[in-house]
Amino acid sequence: MITTRTTNEWLLGAAPIVLVLLLWQGLVSFGYAPATLLPPPVQVFLRMGQQLASATFQQDIAATLFRLFAGFAIAVVLGVSIGIAAAVSPPVNAVVRPIVRVLAPLPKVALYPAFLLLLGFNHESKIMLVAADALFPILLSTYYGATIVEQKLIWSALAAGTPPRDVLWKVVLPAAMPSILTGCRIGLVISCIVVFLAEMITSTDGLGHVLVTAARTFQAVDMFVPLITISLLGLILNGLLQGLRAYLLRGFPSV
Amino acid sequence: MGVTPIRPGELAGVPLGRRPAEPIIEIDHVSQVFKTSSRRDHTALSNISLSVEEGAFVSILGPSGCGKSTLLYIVGGFVSPTSGTAKMKGKPITGPGTDRGPVFQEFALFPWKSVLGNVMYGPLQQGMNSAKAEARALELIAMVGLTGFEKFYPKELSGGMKQRVALARTLAYGPEVLLMDEPFGALDAHTRTRLQNDLLEIWERDRKTVLFVTHSVEEAVFLSDKVVMMSRSPGRIREVIDIDLPRPRRREELLLDPRYQNYIVEIERMFDDSGDNELPS
Repeated sequence: MITTRTTNEWLLGAAPIVLVLLLWQGLVSFGYAPATLLPPPVQVFLRMGQQLASATFQQDIAATLFRLFAGFAIAVVLGVSIGIAAAVSPPVNAVVRPIVRVLAPLPKVALYPAFLLLLGFNHESKIMLVAADALFPILLSTYYGATIVEQKLIWSALAAGTPPRDVLWKVVLPAAMPSILTGCRIGLVISCIVVFLAEMITSTDGLGHVLVTAARTFQAVDMFVPLITISLLGLILNGLLQGLRAYLLRGFPSV
Repeated sequence: MGVTPIRPGELAGVPLGRRPAEPIIEIDHVSQVFKTSSRRDHTALSNISLSVEEGAFVSILGPSGCGKSTLLYIVGGFVSPTSGTAKMKGKPITGPGTDRGPVFQEFALFPWKSVLGNVMYGPLQQGMNSAKAEARALELIAMVGLTGFEKFYPKELSGGMKQRVALARTLAYGPEVLLMDEPFGALDAHTRTRLQNDLLEIWERDRKTVLFVTHSVEEAVFLSDKVVMMSRSPGRIREVIDIDLPRPRRREELLLDPRYQNYIVEIERMFDDSGDNELPS
């Protein structure tokens, strides 16, 4: 029963993706868009196969992934530690709350020119942008998760002899884990978007750069390849994070 | 009638005509005032004095909102009183400690730990090595009748099983006093009865001091040596009643025992008289 249901769900989930591909194929087949500007999906996937085997394209993927992971990792470390600190310490909260309110709604991409000037055209400026954008959802959901930790869990731990300074690591952090991981999931999606965006704006390599270069030279097929590559990377990374989440939250209700 | 009412002012909690045993918990003129959301003062506890003898099973019985849980949290060191002092073995209580083990209505098990992990937690905190802590935990899991469920997570257990784990987790670090805050309040009637029986059986083995908060008259009479009746607004002690029933107690026998029935009727009547008619359930 259970396997049938999950198989059905999987099929249902795949249906809209297939539909988009069919629509795409249809637009080309029925002549609504010229194949030179909108290449048929099969052609794009074939080209993608070739590209994946080429060393330069692999290097571009590597560059994008490196920036994505570095930025996301910084965002996780900062977001979780600031979020937890603000939740357990009123003075930290007093300091953090206004600055978060000011910075969170700011379009971080607007800071990119400043990052470029300050950090140069290399990895650093892109990592910084990814970190800045992924930070806030992680920080906010960590803060939320840590503030709603059940008081009696903390009391139980204290009565069992936990030193008060250890309560943070032994109770608050694990109890806030479901919220933290939800924040991370949002942060990861944002990281995929932002790293690509940064590479499109100014870069000498990476998937975003590949797309812009192809667009400027009217290489329509090459333009779609990095686009699909980043979606697939996002899909894989999200799957990995889901696996991690299922493992870390194995004891929590309704994962 | 077997009921020995004592005025709260005098010698509260010490049974008349019997040499008092050493008190393990002394609550001395404790009051607790909260600020309500409308910024008014709400007196949850007013001038409570109570002493609990070592090895006694004492229930605190009262309607919801009478501050009975707050009193327990003060003894646990989780909440500090606005005025007055609470002492454990003569020392003022300033915070939680392993000598006082809480069991909450909400179970408060660590959801990220298995049954074994939850029960091992206390012994590990006390510096026991993991092999010893595991042995200790397995012993307690067996004691509460959950052998075979060591690897389960709390979410996979029923309410009654969760409360058994919570009891084992608390007993595992060897507290001298158990602080039970309506521990069976969230359970169905059948499970509740079974856990009461099992708790008595466990308690009768080593007679740890128990402070047991409940709003059920039957539960209080069935379990306790002494019932502290509280009334509402402000929360204060109305009566302290010694329950003079033989131990070990067996439910089938007690239900037929006129003394047991009398205690219940007496206590319910007292609550009815006071206008705290939200009580007996």
